[in-house]
Amino acid sequence: MEVLLGITGKDFTIMASSKAAMRGATILKATDDKTRELNKQTLMAFSGEAGDTVQFAEYIQANIQLYSMRNDTHLGPPAVASFVRGELARSLRSRRPYTVNLLLGGFDSITEKPSLYWIDYLASCVPLPYAAHGYAQYYCLSILDKHHHPDIDLETGMKILRMCTDELRRRLPVDFKGIAVKIITRDGIREEEYTDDHVVRSA
Amino acid sequence: MASGYDRALSVFSPDGHVFQVEYALEAVKRGTCAVGVKGQDIVVLGCEKRSAMKLQDTRITPSKICLVDNHVALAFAGLHADARILVDKARLEAQSHRLTVEDPVSIEYITKYIAGVQQRYTQSGGVRPFGISTLIVGFDKNDKTPFLYQTEPSGIYSAWKANAIGRSSKTVREFLERNHKPDMNREDTIKLTVKSLLEVVQTGAKNIEIAIMAPGKPVEMLADDAIEKYVESIDTEKQEEAANRRPGRAPGSGTAAILTRQSGEGSGA
Amino acid sequence: MDTLVSRYSRPAFVDREYTAEDQEDAYQATPSLSLQFALPPVSQASSWLRAMTDDHSNPSCPIKIAHGTTTLAFRFQGGIIVATDSRATAGNWIASQTVKKVIEINSCLLGTMAGGAADCQYWLAYLGMQCRLHELRHKRRITVAAASKILANLVYAYKGMGLSMGTMCAGVTPQEGPALYYIDSDGTRLSGNLFCVGSGQTFAYGVLDAEYRYDLTEQEALELGSRSILAATHRDAFSGGFINLYHVKEDGWVKHGFNDTNPIFWKTKLEKGEFSNVTAELD
Repeated sequence: MEVLLGITGKDFTIMASSKAAMRGATILKATDDKTRELNKQTLMAFSGEAGDTVQFAEYIQANIQLYSMRNDTHLGPPAVASFVRGELARSLRSRRPYTVNLLLGGFDSITEKPSLYWIDYLASCVPLPYAAHGYAQYYCLSILDKHHHPDIDLETGMKILRMCTDELRRRLPVDFKGIAVKIITRDGIREEEYTDDHVVRSA
Repeated sequence: MASGYDRALSVFSPDGHVFQVEYALEAVKRGTCAVGVKGQDIVVLGCEKRSAMKLQDTRITPSKICLVDNHVALAFAGLHADARILVDKARLEAQSHRLTVEDPVSIEYITKYIAGVQQRYTQSGGVRPFGISTLIVGFDKNDKTPFLYQTEPSGIYSAWKANAIGRSSKTVREFLERNHKPDMNREDTIKLTVKSLLEVVQTGAKNIEIAIMAPGKPVEMLADDAIEKYVESIDTEKQEEAANRRPGRAPGSGTAAILTRQSGEGSGA
Repeated sequence: MDTLVSRYSRPAFVDREYTAEDQEDAYQATPSLSLQFALPPVSQASSWLRAMTDDHSNPSCPIKIAHGTTTLAFRFQGGIIVATDSRATAGNWIASQTVKKVIEINSCLLGTMAGGAADCQYWLAYLGMQCRLHELRHKRRITVAAASKILANLVYAYKGMGLSMGTMCAGVTPQEGPALYYIDSDGTRLSGNLFCVGSGQTFAYGVLDAEYRYDLTEQEALELGSRSILAATHRDAFSGGFINLYHVKEDGWVKHGFNDTNPIFWKTKLEKGEFSNVTAELD
């Protein structure tokens, strides 16, 4: 029951991921980071099969950084997304595919627009204004459908995110130990303080 | 003279030479000059740039100084095309190292790797050694001591306080031997690098490239006008010194800081 | 004609030009971190292993893998405490009561074993070898992050092929300070302050979580580690034997005994009045 959320706005992309690392009936870690920085302006959040997730993410991370190093230029979010999707599609047809679901958030410094790609383990890749993976989809997409607009500012974005996480805390049967929030803007990626200790009332 | 012992690469001549490796060193000597100088908490790479042809786009012509990883820079002398391959291997290893042990490579490690690749190409069938020497500079993670290493086509690597490779490297090295001081600050280190390059570069700032590395910072390529300033200040210094020397006919030892050689000489070593 | 015959009857010339990759392999200065490992001569090694070892569906399976353990490790102000039980079980059979489940990788690094005993022993010994090689090549001791990653990458390469291990790597290095990592055969690798692994993990977590603080004194930490293992050996049928206790400090690890749980249990019960569900009187 890992939670991955992505919301774009006027000039930012918010990426949120749950902090619990679970194995069977145990939460092994409550401060897990399910994201990797691919380059200055793209961040990948991942969930799925234990082991596969980090291995795949770090493999992609190393290759994107190698590209930057070799060519002295950064790949933009659409190029990164195509590369990631391609690698996943290749792996899907191998003997042991990676079972990883991904959200790829970025800021495109050419179009000056935020971007978000939803990629699943079957290598589907869709650019979306907001996206989620796992059970979070069932709760959060309806909220986002109702409240999201392409030109929202960061404050509104964070408000919508709060509505989403509150709903998850209310209805999701397990404690996912809160979420870690990262924001991507034209200046790069920064981690956002996100307190999650208020009481969420259920009807 | 070689009488067949330079044909197949991995064959010794009776007196113990591997000729192809020695020829590779010749290719290095024909390459443009590169200099590396360590300061107290800085390390500087300087390169002689080949003069561009009239229609050449210098903006996007590849440089002789390249980044292996964010904290490692490399300058080479010799065959550009060979260097590209070697640098690419090094970059791959640097990322692979990050991936497998989660830490960036240490400067010594990547030097050893590059020297290792060069060595391999002196002992395999059907290949030719890399016709380049490299200067590798940078800082280890959480460490403020600068590193400067040199590698050669044979696969030898060595550590230096300051060194030069390529055309007229002997002249430049001798200049560095005379003028290098321990614990130089940033300005002095850059200045010494430029000064030593001016020993062999006649055309001044437009044919010089300078890269500066400081701990925990990305590499800094010095802008052309900044280099120009260093060159100018060095020139005025030289003139002043020459002016001072003339009237008194001071004994040679006095201010022998800059003994500029005649151009066209050198490339010994 | 002769020339024609000789031309075509000449043995096919094998052009033994080495490709670049061949040469890389042949002359690789540093061996790769993943080993080539002999596999049983069957088409699907993993399903074969499952069929041979699964005593749930087949109680008379020929190979019974040693399972069942409690191991724990936690970071605190004075370093890292590592504690384990010492029981090895194969099915319902207690195979040994004196297993050393803490593996001394080097003077500053410890590994713990849970899951397949052979898998853990073999691969942690292999890790010890890689750590020493790293030390020789890099002229400094390997970081715990790097050591744990070598192990994680390795087990990940064998993912789905029947490896079974849950281990912790604990060590202190000048670069990281005290560091603790959890690695399991899924390929998961996590850094953290506190981990319990094995069939008795839940019991150990219960005791440990309640009284764990980072600023524990050394004495308190040792006591808490050993008490948590005792709790697990009491409730988990597959844990028991002796409590193996280690303390990892800046200048290496110190062993704090390999003590029988039985007297410790009775001492704890009679002196502190804990375990009140067990009666001591005969009536």
